Amino acid sequence: MPNLTQIALATGFGLILIGFYGALTRRSLLRIILAFTLASTGVNVVIVAIGYMRGRTAPILDEAVTTTTAVGRIIDPLPQALVLTAIVIGLGVTALMLAHAYRLFLRHGTLDIAAFRELKW
Amino acid sequence: MVKRLFALGLLTVFAGLFASLLSGYVPDAELNPSARYYAERTAPDLGAANLVTAIIVTYRGLDTLGEVTVLFLAAAIVGLVLGSGRGIHRPRPDGRPAHDPHSRHSAPPPDRSAADRANAGRPDEAPSSAHPPVGELLTTGSHLLAPLILLLGVYVFANGHLTPGGGFQGGAILASATLLLLLAQPGRQFSHRLISALESLAGLLFVVIGLLGLALAGGFLDNRILPLGTLGELFSAGAIPLISTLIGLKVGAEFSSILASLSETRHYPALRVQADADTESAAQTRNQPADHADGEQP
Amino acid sequence: MPNPILLIAVALGTAFLLGLLEERRRRLAWAISLAALAFLSWVPATWLLALATGQAAPVEILTAGAPPPFAINLRLGLAEAALTLLVNLTGLLTTLYLKDRLLDLGRRAMAVLLVAVMALDGLILTRDLFNLFVFVELTAIATAGLLLLSDDARALAAGFKYLMVAQFISVLLLIGILFAYHAGGTLNLDGLAGAPSVLGAGQGWILEAGGGFAFLLMFVALVAELKPFPANGWALDIYESAHPAFAALFAAASGTAALFAVDKLLTIGGSEWLGAATAIGLATFLIAHLCALPQDNDRRLLGYSSVAQTGLVLVGIGQRDLLGDRYFFVAFGLLAAHAVAKAGLYWLSGLMAERGLSAWAALRGQPWLILAFASFLALLTGLPPFPGFYAKWELIHHLAGADRLAPLGLILLGTLIEAGYLFRWFGYVIKRPPPASAPLPCPIHQALPILVALVGAWGLGWLWGELSGQTQLLLTWPLAFALLFLLLEWLPSWVKNTLAIAGLLAFFAATYDYYDPLRLIFALIFLVGGAIILLAGYATSGQRTGFYPSALLMYAGLAILVLAEDSFQFFAAWELLTIGSYFLILRGQAAEPHALSYLLFSLGGAFLLLTGFALAAQGAPQLALADLGGVPASLSGWVFVLLAIGFMTKTAALGLHVWLPGAHAEAETDVSPMVSGILLKAGLFGLFLLLMHLGRQQLYGIELTHVILWIGALTALFGNLLAAFQEDAKRLLAWSSIGQMGYALFGLALMNHLGWLMALMFVINHYIYKSMLFLSLGGVAKRTGTRDMYRMGGLITLMPLSFIAVLIGIIAISGVPPLSGFGGRWIFYNAILDTEARLPLVILFFAGPIAFLYLFRLIHTVFLGQLKDEHRRVREAPFWILLPQMLFVALLIAFALVPGVALRQVDGYIARFFPDGGLTWDGLSIVSHYGYWNPVSIMLIIGVIFMVVFAWLLFVNRRAQKVKQFNIAFAAERPYRPETTHFAWNFFAPYRKALGFLTLPLATRFWDTLADLLHAAGDLGRRLYTGNGQTYAFHFLAFASGLILWGLGVRP
Repeated sequence: MPNLTQIALATGFGLILIGFYGALTRRSLLRIILAFTLASTGVNVVIVAIGYMRGRTAPILDEAVTTTTAVGRIIDPLPQALVLTAIVIGLGVTALMLAHAYRLFLRHGTLDIAAFRELKW
Repeated sequence: MVKRLFALGLLTVFAGLFASLLSGYVPDAELNPSARYYAERTAPDLGAANLVTAIIVTYRGLDTLGEVTVLFLAAAIVGLVLGSGRGIHRPRPDGRPAHDPHSRHSAPPPDRSAADRANAGRPDEAPSSAHPPVGELLTTGSHLLAPLILLLGVYVFANGHLTPGGGFQGGAILASATLLLLLAQPGRQFSHRLISALESLAGLLFVVIGLLGLALAGGFLDNRILPLGTLGELFSAGAIPLISTLIGLKVGAEFSSILASLSETRHYPALRVQADADTESAAQTRNQPADHADGEQP
Repeated sequence: MPNPILLIAVALGTAFLLGLLEERRRRLAWAISLAALAFLSWVPATWLLALATGQAAPVEILTAGAPPPFAINLRLGLAEAALTLLVNLTGLLTTLYLKDRLLDLGRRAMAVLLVAVMALDGLILTRDLFNLFVFVELTAIATAGLLLLSDDARALAAGFKYLMVAQFISVLLLIGILFAYHAGGTLNLDGLAGAPSVLGAGQGWILEAGGGFAFLLMFVALVAELKPFPANGWALDIYESAHPAFAALFAAASGTAALFAVDKLLTIGGSEWLGAATAIGLATFLIAHLCALPQDNDRRLLGYSSVAQTGLVLVGIGQRDLLGDRYFFVAFGLLAAHAVAKAGLYWLSGLMAERGLSAWAALRGQPWLILAFASFLALLTGLPPFPGFYAKWELIHHLAGADRLAPLGLILLGTLIEAGYLFRWFGYVIKRPPPASAPLPCPIHQALPILVALVGAWGLGWLWGELSGQTQLLLTWPLAFALLFLLLEWLPSWVKNTLAIAGLLAFFAATYDYYDPLRLIFALIFLVGGAIILLAGYATSGQRTGFYPSALLMYAGLAILVLAEDSFQFFAAWELLTIGSYFLILRGQAAEPHALSYLLFSLGGAFLLLTGFALAAQGAPQLALADLGGVPASLSGWVFVLLAIGFMTKTAALGLHVWLPGAHAEAETDVSPMVSGILLKAGLFGLFLLLMHLGRQQLYGIELTHVILWIGALTALFGNLLAAFQEDAKRLLAWSSIGQMGYALFGLALMNHLGWLMALMFVINHYIYKSMLFLSLGGVAKRTGTRDMYRMGGLITLMPLSFIAVLIGIIAISGVPPLSGFGGRWIFYNAILDTEARLPLVILFFAGPIAFLYLFRLIHTVFLGQLKDEHRRVREAPFWILLPQMLFVALLIAFALVPGVALRQVDGYIARFFPDGGLTWDGLSIVSHYGYWNPVSIMLIIGVIFMVVFAWLLFVNRRAQKVKQFNIAFAAERPYRPETTHFAWNFFAPYRKALGFLTLPLATRFWDTLADLLHAAGDLGRRLYTGNGQTYAFHFLAFASGLILWGLGVRP
């Protein structure tokens, strides 16, 4: 019986593979960007899943979770912090890719990735 | 077809790797030493109740600074490329690229200020005509909602050290107000200068506070330059709320700037540029929409 | 000391501050950026100085006031200080270089540049894995942003391709980091590497579930940032299309930071990953160089070269286990050479209006830029006295010591290919017509960065010389003297000539006491002989830009070579004289291809020497030449073969001779005698040393000296034969040199007393008569405007002194009495009577008469016969070209009369090695056990015979009368191909009919085919880079899959 972590990990990995496949086979720049977004979402799922611990609560101290009991009650806060950074960075890269795609479209009038082959060999 | 098979073949290797990662995965039963440290020491040392925010703002503050910089970069570049930036190889009205790729020195346009004004205002392209009319509901709703959204955003980042939330979340909420306004009023011009000044100032203060930590407390980005206060109160956890606020403002400004830049791109009629597309391949592929090119013929 | 966190804080603060400025205050923004970057360069500079002098210890920089595993920490040690200095300085100079462009783009572009520099600093400093990821992403975004800011619209596509790969990288890196955290319990690099910490995490985590895979993923991702083959198409596109200043930043700074990131990562992996790094680096190095061969776009060529150089540094990193405390010396040497040279070259590229390689001929407008270009090429190729040279020397020695021969060979092969395309380019720059456009613009803000790179290149050369523990080459007198001439280029040539002659003679006088008799002879030829030939330099007026530094570089190499005591000095000298002579030969009018083939053969030979020395040293950093005999028997055969082939490349032994005729014939009038009369002796000197110390060697039961004997005999035969069939006087002399070197080789390989004496006679004789003949025929060619002998004739009355020189010269060469050539023959016949090698002996005898055939033509076709109409007003050669010839005539006669002056000492010296079969010196007579030779009496006898015959001829012909010239040649001449009706054309046609099959250019064909194959392979290889971003994604994933499959195999 797989536990929640494994299901989440498998989902994340699956998303990554789907994203990779899309990036390798779609020819429209927008779909490629979308595929990468999918893959980074997969990574974020994986990150969160790694921090997850069964039966524990969020890493925020209050009346229920005090400083003394925190060690036994909260999940690992670090992946939670990391995932935030990862999300934001992913967003920055996506924005940049969109800017590229937009300018490429302006210049070439197409979004087909096979059309941008002035540089080669 | 070969391409897909090839892709599948390559991905099989990755699937295999992921599968072995998955099968070998043993979830931790106890917090590892790092996490244990955060659980035990955050409250006494930093005075923050939200451990995630404490980690983001302080323990891994350098990451966060980098992350803010990522957004700053993205906003600056997107702004340069899509917005009012100049000197990029944007096609001129006469259909020539602004810069010959082989020219070494790109001479600045002689009427720089005139070009500025034209870019900023763009009076010749009536924005509203380019968009479908916006419904009454959306317009009125946005006027009502925008202040509330902004308030929520401020709440989220100001309370980041106590409750779920923090600078990024709050900033994103702020930017959603911008998005709403843009949706309600598509041609709306945001003051890039204001946004840019806000984001730069917030960023600069972030760095200055970091350096204050170096001077007054234990190191760069140490939050104990202000009194830690009582755990759970709004004015506690040293500089964390302050930094959260700055991050919130900065992220909000940056997202808004990206959104504004992206929304302004509509003013470029793509048709004018198509004449400029000079490569053979582009000429051939232009007629097939890229989305169709995606589906290979069965 | 400034806190290193300022590196990040100041860069970021300035970037944010720029946002507060008004858009139109661009100059202010630019000035602020410049000031910030200057500060950012100053900080690591002070640290570097303090750390290097021991005034400071490496520091840990804590953030957030919490200890390392919990909060992010940075570290600044010597390596970090050096690398951040490199990065920030590159950033500073890039900002300076880009002044116009940045002022045009505005403050946000400057902010992007600042952030890019900051991200690279962070990448170098951070000790936290996830923080590393953040900086990797920042670098990627900044890179893509800078691409968007480039002039070239094609950079857009390159940027997108890069972002695609960057996305794959970031996915793999993140998963790797998170699983490493899960397995190791920390994100701290040192914690994961097993450093003692509060966590107690050790090396063990990597063996735990997922740990190995996690490392594998991180390794794949970070190595992919180094543009490994085949996942590097995106990098090439970037290098080609980015603004050259950005390309400089990517090559010099980004590459550096990424390499250091991999280096840090490898500290937490085991040593089995070093092998993977080595293999990836080697494949990248070799294939990228191959693909660069057919390139004609300068920026893409530099891109391939960058990719290859990064691969080489990765190979260096892969040898970390081997190099020990010399690791940083080697890796930094390779890295610094690459970074400085590539930045400089890209900055130069920014000055060029056109992209073809020949367009760089525009550099000729500004000689100092040529110097910069040459220095950067030498830096890349690892020639002395640059850091790459010292680093490669150590790397090769360590590899040889640990029996890692495959990487050793591949590194040298790749370097040779690299030298091939880089110096082909240099040939274009020197020889091709410059583009018609306006003279090269070089505003001060663009000149300054190039100048800094140039100074940096030489400074690093000095530094690496200090750190190497070897001889500091830049401080050796000869090299310093040669470099001095770079500063004196503005002087007129006669002043420089005088200075050069004085320098050579003074150095000889100062070092006179250090020479044993054998070395004394070589030193005499190299230094005093060089000074005599330099006399001809007075014939040239003007400044003669470039001649003196090159010539003195060659002489410096020769001077160090004779004095060398260990293998390092010997090899450094060898490379110096090779480069110097290459520059000299390249000066000839049509010398471009020949100079290149000369350089490639010489470097190929030099690399064999390097391998031989490295094998012999067995892991030691160098080897005293005298200890060469102490090499264990299992190796000595191989060492012998490598060194012998290396030396024989220089003496142009058969099969390795194809470079010589062109190089010697196409050189300038007074350069030909230098490279022929003097330079060839360097190879013989090497062979003397080799045979002296290693003696007879066997390999698989084959007596190696016997093989050399055969090679010598065949070289003599073919050299002479081909000389006979030449129409070009200088080519004839060049082929004759090949033949003469064959004799010398033969004499050496006889391995007996008289054989060596004969070889030494050849050394002296060949210097004198070949220098003389090249000068006199060069003078003739200068006056007549042609080198084709059938276009000359009847010059005896117009150029009598040249005629006398040639006459004396060919009497000496042919070995007929009374001149010294006969002495050589006499010793030679004595020597071969001592051996049993009968068959090569026959061949050698057969070669003798052929020499008469070609020598006869020099007199007969050039000086006798009908004077051509267009030559009726020809004057005698210039005085300064005649003067050395007359000196040589005097020398020849003197050496013929009293050979004992030179030979007696050497005879005694050789007796140390071959006590038996020496000569006895009895007054003026020389006695061997076969007979005696008295040069003076022979001279007298021949003189008397000559006078008698001459008088008789005069008497018999007393009634002869002069007839008018019967112009048969012109009467029957056809307007096209006049040579076919000239009697002297194809003079030896009958012999050619009989022996022509021997003159088939088999060796030339072999080498040409090899070159074509390499080119074809390169052309095929680069088709891999289709330009499609998706194909590049496939390449990346294929690379990653390959590594993953390999990694799965490695994991227990």
